[in-house]
Amino acid sequence: MGVAVLLKQVPDTTAKISISGDRVDEASITKWSISPYDEYALENAIKLKESGFGDVVAITCGPSRSAKCLTEAAAVGADRLIHIISESPLDSIQVQSLLSAAVKESGCEVVMCGKQAADTNSGSTGPGLATTLGFSCVGGVTEVSIEGGNASATRLGPSGLEQVEVAVPCVFTFDKGDSELRRPNVRGIMMAKKKPVDVFSAEDLGVDVGDSMVEIKSHSSPPEKKPGQKFVGSDSIPEVVSKLREEANVI
Amino acid sequence: MAYEALDFYDIDSLLTEEERMVRDMVRDWVEDRVLPNIEDACRDGVFPDEWRVEIGEMGILGAPLEGYGCPGLSYIAYGLICQELERGDSGVRSFASVQGSLAMYPIWDFGSEEQKEKYLPGMAKGELVGCFGLTEPDYGSNPGDMITRAEDKGDHFLLNGAKMWITNGTIADLAVVWAKLEGEIRGFIVEKGDQGFSAPEMKGKHSLKASVTSELVFQDCKIPKDRILPDVKGLRGPFSCLNNARYGISWGAVGAAQSCFNSAREYALSRIQFGHPIASFQLVQNKLSWMLREITKGQLLAYHIGKKKGDGSWIPEQISLAKMNNVDMALEIARMSRDIHGANGILDEYPVMRHMANLESVKTYEGTHDIHNLIIGRHITGIQSFTREP
Ligand SMILES: Cc1cc2nc3c(=O)[nH]c(=O)nc-3n(C[C@H](O)[C@H](O)[C@H](O)COP(=O)(O)OP(=O)(O)OC[C@H]3O[C@@H](n4cnc5c(N)ncnc54)[C@H](O)[C@@H]3O)c2cc1C
Repeated sequence: MGVAVLLKQVPDTTAKISISGDRVDEASITKWSISPYDEYALENAIKLKESGFGDVVAITCGPSRSAKCLTEAAAVGADRLIHIISESPLDSIQVQSLLSAAVKESGCEVVMCGKQAADTNSGSTGPGLATTLGFSCVGGVTEVSIEGGNASATRLGPSGLEQVEVAVPCVFTFDKGDSELRRPNVRGIMMAKKKPVDVFSAEDLGVDVGDSMVEIKSHSSPPEKKPGQKFVGSDSIPEVVSKLREEANVI
Repeated sequence: MAYEALDFYDIDSLLTEEERMVRDMVRDWVEDRVLPNIEDACRDGVFPDEWRVEIGEMGILGAPLEGYGCPGLSYIAYGLICQELERGDSGVRSFASVQGSLAMYPIWDFGSEEQKEKYLPGMAKGELVGCFGLTEPDYGSNPGDMITRAEDKGDHFLLNGAKMWITNGTIADLAVVWAKLEGEIRGFIVEKGDQGFSAPEMKGKHSLKASVTSELVFQDCKIPKDRILPDVKGLRGPFSCLNNARYGISWGAVGAAQSCFNSAREYALSRIQFGHPIASFQLVQNKLSWMLREITKGQLLAYHIGKKKGDGSWIPEQISLAKMNNVDMALEIARMSRDIHGANGILDEYPVMRHMANLESVKTYEGTHDIHNLIIGRHITGIQSFTREP
């Protein structure tokens, strides 16, 4: 048994995003990283491995540049690396069918991923995958431990921490928790370089992704934030109070 | 705002994936652990022990050395490590330079098999700290005339003398000490706790405040016979260590300069005077442009000499040029950046004054700026001008 961790490569949160011809200009993105929520999933998977629960299988679906995610995962302890190559954009269902096939191939019955990707924020991968695979799904968790065939997950409920017990097989989607992804070390980085990557195409996995059911019409930049206002001296207090009350509606 | 290291000529594209990953790991650590704590460390005049532990855990000490638990990275990766550490603080880079290039390297190159096995694995992990004792109170640029002596007493060596300005001295578990044995310079390993050895800290520095600097005092210091480095005699020993450390400094200086440039650029864009950002004034742009120009040249020097270090085709004079040029430009950039920050430039809210003060030490240690000029001058003319003696 092992844990499959799904990693999506997204523009780094610090990267500048520009639009050219109604589309995000990918060529201008200088830094790509593992989506932050996926990093929480990866850290938890490595912890599970350290507690004696099988190997960590890192899986990514994306263009060749996204192989970097896998090397980074290997540097912190992933044991097997699977890259589903897809150079052209896919919709969520297509991605889920490919990922499901890769998870099946890996034989893992525990799947971990971020609750949403930092670029598209759609949040459909985990639940979609669980549906395709017929696994249970627990969303928004921050910690998972497994004993025998049962998993125990912690997640933030409406009024505090919720403890969820669930039988394996199961998909867990991760929210931001306390366990940031560990930093690699030189030994990990050097071993990662040598670790083979299993590269699959849709055909290799026996998946016909079909036509995309979603068409993106255009991308545009979010509206610019209005500049702040500055008030100086105690004379401005009444004005500030009235603005906070009437414009900002905070008092 | 996220840190974006100046890389005008896209040096990044010349790096291997492994080199990039090592660089990013160290950059991340510096951002996470050094930058939020460096001002406190400087104020308290300490090198925080957790930095030693974490640097050891990253596995970057003695970067280009192979075997005995050492990382075995490329010289370029070693340079990048220095660059990122010094972007944080020259004191942090000094810790790693001294440990890797000045203490681990001589054991690795000139030590006996037993010495290598005894010290190197622990040093690579940061569990054992080393220092390098060459400079003496009366012999800095001219270490060949050192006073510190070793005597062969049959079943042990007896060391007498004093070293000064020794980085990591007080926190070191072992010191690689250069002393004269029958008139010839030899390397000795002195361990903390050896009889007659002490390493009091030097206080009151205005520069490299987060780095420990010490005296090493030997008063009839008795060490076993197997602590001499068997495979080197003369100034070649310490100088080959210095070549490695100087190489690392040529990258480190780029890191400090990148940090100062970054701060100057951000500040100039946000500081409004006469109704406009100061970055919009030609004089300020001229300064920023000069900084970019010098950093870019420095990066190319460091990268090229790094490749030559890797394939063994270098000469020491080329390393002298890289160390001298890059520290010089970094110090000038730190000063210029301080100027662009106006009064704010003197505050510890910005890194520039700290880098500026640090770089004054870096200009002096590992061969002063002018000593490197003399090394290059000798190379050009064939005439040595260190001393008037023939
Ligand atoms: C923070 C710090 C850490 C250090 N760490 C270490 C360490 O770990 N181990 C170690 O062994 N040493 C260390 N040093 C010592 C350093 O290497 C020496 O300071 C350096 O070699 C210069 O020696 P000096 O200070 O005695 O200066 P001097 O040699 O006295 O030089 C003073 C000035 O005279 C100039 N000068 C000297 N000779 C000539 C000449 N022939 N022609 C023209 N100009 C000349 C120099 O360029 C300089 O400008 C450290 C120093 C500092 C500041």
